[in-house]
Amino acid sequence: MTKIRYIVLFIVAFQSNAQISDFDYINFKKADSIALECKDEGLNNLPKLVYKLTSNLETDAERFRAIYKWVCTNIENDYALFLKNNKKRQKFQNDSLKLTNWNTHVKKKIFRTLLKDQKTICTGYAYLIKELSNLANLNCEIVHGYGRTSSTNVDKLNTPNHSWNAIELNGKWYLCDPTWASGIIDPETYVFKFNYNDGYFLTSPELFAINHFPEDNKWLLIDDVKLTFKTFLEAPIIYGKAYTNLIHHDTPKKLSNTLRRNEKITFKYQLVKPTPVNQIHLLVDNGFVDRKVQPNSVIIKDDMLTFEHQFNTTGFYDVHLLIGDDLISSYTFKVKR
Amino acid sequence: MKTNFTLKQKNYGLVKPESIEQFSMRDILNRTFGLIGLIMLTTIISNPVFAQTKKVAESKSVTQEIIVKGVVSDEIEPLYLVNVVLEGTETGTSTNEKGEFTFPKPLKYGDVLVFSYLGYDTAKIKINENSTFIELMLTSGGIEVVGDLNIEKPYKSKRSN
Repeated sequence: MTKIRYIVLFIVAFQSNAQISDFDYINFKKADSIALECKDEGLNNLPKLVYKLTSNLETDAERFRAIYKWVCTNIENDYALFLKNNKKRQKFQNDSLKLTNWNTHVKKKIFRTLLKDQKTICTGYAYLIKELSNLANLNCEIVHGYGRTSSTNVDKLNTPNHSWNAIELNGKWYLCDPTWASGIIDPETYVFKFNYNDGYFLTSPELFAINHFPEDNKWLLIDDVKLTFKTFLEAPIIYGKAYTNLIHHDTPKKLSNTLRRNEKITFKYQLVKPTPVNQIHLLVDNGFVDRKVQPNSVIIKDDMLTFEHQFNTTGFYDVHLLIGDDLISSYTFKVKR
Repeated sequence: MKTNFTLKQKNYGLVKPESIEQFSMRDILNRTFGLIGLIMLTTIISNPVFAQTKKVAESKSVTQEIIVKGVVSDEIEPLYLVNVVLEGTETGTSTNEKGEFTFPKPLKYGDVLVFSYLGYDTAKIKINENSTFIELMLTSGGIEVVGDLNIEKPYKSKRSN
């Protein structure tokens, strides 16, 4: 009985900061190298793939890591399919029969392409992670919802446009996004490039919720009534590099902000690791020119980053946070007299 | 006439309690049969449990092995190249064009076969004495296909001016 009480206490105590730091005691090197060794394995025999990936690993976290890493480094984003699917879904959004028919059609096509070319869109990634995990007797779910990026039509998100995963490890649920972790689409050529981003693996739910909102609220993994679809739509834009540099994004809470001339606004973040003060910049765009500025009173204490900024002239500004060369987040400021 | 009539009435009166008695007799019979039925039912239910545990025990001691064959399809047609694997191992095979398979190795009762096919929900089947021929239908869960990609383009607000 006391044992159970301690376990419950342990779970409660660690519930608040669900993230990869729970597994600091595990070195994922072995899992990663197994994933690399399985590079030539195809998708034509999933049980065999899972066996190769997981049978030599001790913990569930490592087993999941090997599966996740393999998927993220072997499956490509299919940009053409993404465009086509998005167009059809928009077109049929008020015609459930046609949408269902399209879904059945595209489902077949997606799995054929996934098997043959190892290319897919989010649902394919999330499905694959779930299937492979289930074959390894891990409890993994697909989460459908809304993903928000700089290129999504932010104000017009009315149907789910993204899928990711939730995984249960040692009795606790964690979030990850294999699609966005796998790489990026070049903004000019629209060609996909593998570029694994470890920040999307067992991410803190608070950071994740800034640009991921599940259809079913329970997959937020946060018990905060203040967090709604509306606050999600108002949130700042964060980028892939936010996931490698930040643990928490605290303020500004909104993408669009209004303030007076010379009024101070506070920016606050929790960093993954302490960073030199001179690495922190704001890129301020007034609609005509970009200006890279060093913000005022930058304080980095332990892993907390705080600084202030004020605008001396009225206008409308797009403001981007840079840490080193990494683009972290974007906000807009309307500055009044 | 009058007395006759009353007699008849009396007769009726006599008949009535008799019929009630008959019914109650039937009722008792029904109840007894019901009870016997219940006892029989309980024995039927409880017996197979014993039988099963006995068999499992037997199969464990004798390690009886069987050759497993089968056919795998979806709602419409046989499925080609479905992976059939013994759980926790690499041992397995895949289905032919007609959806048929023969597992390459004899299996023990209690072994679990995993059926996996990209796009369909994975199925697991525990081997028992009825598993010499497995007919399996795989279903694809309600997957809603969506996908947004992350194009790392810096955000640019739409300005009215």
